[in-house]
Amino acid sequence: MSASARIQETGEAALRVTGTTGDRESDWRLVHMIARAVSVPGVPGVHSAIPTYESVLIEFDPMITSAAAMTAIVSVVLSEVDPSQPLTENPREFIVPVLYGGEGGPDLADVARTTGLDEEAVIEAHLAPTYVIRCLGAPGGSPMLDGPALPVPVPRLKSPRTHVPQGAVSLAGRQATITPAPAPGGWSLIGRTPYTVLDLAAEPLVPYAPGDVLRFRRIDEAEFDALRGMRLEATKEEAK
Amino acid sequence: MSPHLTITLAGRAAVTDLGRFRGPAFGLPVNGALDQYSARVANILVANDEAAPLIEAVAFDTAFVPSVDVLIAVTGAPVALTVDGCERPMWEPVSVCAGQTVALSSMTGGMRAYVAVHGSFAVPGLLGSCAPDTVIGFGSFLTDGGQVALNAQTAAPINPYFGISLFNFGVDRPFFGDVAYIDVTDGPDVDEFAGTSRRLFDAPYRVTPRSNHIGLRLTGSLPERVRSDEMISRGVPVGAVEVPPGDELLVLHRGRGVTAGYPVLAVVTSTSLDTLGQARPGTAVVFRRVTAEHAARDARAWRERLDALRDRVATVYSCIGAEHIVPVRSSGCLQGA
Repeated sequence: MSASARIQETGEAALRVTGTTGDRESDWRLVHMIARAVSVPGVPGVHSAIPTYESVLIEFDPMITSAAAMTAIVSVVLSEVDPSQPLTENPREFIVPVLYGGEGGPDLADVARTTGLDEEAVIEAHLAPTYVIRCLGAPGGSPMLDGPALPVPVPRLKSPRTHVPQGAVSLAGRQATITPAPAPGGWSLIGRTPYTVLDLAAEPLVPYAPGDVLRFRRIDEAEFDALRGMRLEATKEEAK
Repeated sequence: MSPHLTITLAGRAAVTDLGRFRGPAFGLPVNGALDQYSARVANILVANDEAAPLIEAVAFDTAFVPSVDVLIAVTGAPVALTVDGCERPMWEPVSVCAGQTVALSSMTGGMRAYVAVHGSFAVPGLLGSCAPDTVIGFGSFLTDGGQVALNAQTAAPINPYFGISLFNFGVDRPFFGDVAYIDVTDGPDVDEFAGTSRRLFDAPYRVTPRSNHIGLRLTGSLPERVRSDEMISRGVPVGAVEVPPGDELLVLHRGRGVTAGYPVLAVVTSTSLDTLGQARPGTAVVFRRVTAEHAARDARAWRERLDALRDRVATVYSCIGAEHIVPVRSSGCLQGA
């Protein structure tokens, strides 16, 4: 498959590269492949690459390189990568226990009402998929997931919360995530995991990477208390 | 006891550096000094690496007492700098003896002053940077009565005589007035605002108190997005100008979340980001549209001024027989490994 993309200057210190392969999955793989290719020591001046779903923001030091030089590098990368190839040969699997509703999931009832389902059906929908981790988001490396199959997108809260606790399990639009670090947020909270996700003493700071897979598992309050503070780890290293 | 500063008045200050450049790949904002030029100059004046940890003092008075003789430099927003009550110049190296009180007070413009100490600070790092991250709760914030460790190799000061400054480097100082002229380039999503993007340049905006290191909120005539479909999250650069729901313009700064779902109308140039890092609530902001080439040229000119200053500092230190203070060569690269 040919790798085609649109390259846009984004100030004098960044490029936005958007996949234009015509296929959403290929665009996602492509922008992560570009991010990896430019985040190596052989490419001078790159501060960071932030790949998400269909685009990657490449930030660079305009003292060391330039938009023109970075565009040339991205063009070379585009000629070399194949976005039909899997992003990760051996995706790891993470299982995230969730206590749904109650104090940790105050928006579960609202999500049920907006989507025309009952709460149990929302939970079932959330438990059903094996999610692919699409990218890492703010705050602190949230695993960004394609949301569960609900009849309609979940609207963002009209008034965002000033404090969303660590471990919150949430939905917005057609997306889902868990929150590694407390932060303000406008997503709907449907549950909470007792696990700790972010480890400032570790590198990488979060145990997963884009391309890994994640499942949710329903737990009760007793199990939540028993698991509280445990670290999220890969449950299996999948052999090819 | 190992060398340190004892903080006698913390104000609102923390040890920071030029930023966590490896953070965004992990979903962490870059953070670091909001006025990068002033921070770099402070470190250059005391012969440190430009990216060495230094103190960023925000708005409030700050004071400390070093346990050893130190060479310091204070830059950024204009403050009254005193050593044991005697006034000392900003933007020049200043000798301080062990036990003397260094005070920064009465900030008369701008928002952020920087204090570099030759040899720098020994503070914890995360992904290669000590820059505070308020979202994940990381950072070395100054506390009243607390201590900040200095690296042990801190050299003795060059000029221990009261009231005498040997130095006159004549550093170019940034602007800290009531009107900030902010250069922007067109953002990648400027077309989504159709003709209304021109409003950005029609009349001044004003910085509101709801502004911080994450972003500045400005009141004024708002461009309107023509399309209304929800955008999928994508990486946003530091300096992104956005129009979120509500009645304020948002300009993201170094503490910004790395992804967002709003279209990017314009991007503030790196040199103008320093100016915004010093903009107080109430400051008028006049946006000027420039090309990316113009912005890159400005950034290069800024780099050349810093390189020239480093060379002058090295010459002066060697001329006065202070060869033991060896300026760290400029790598010109913030990225480290």
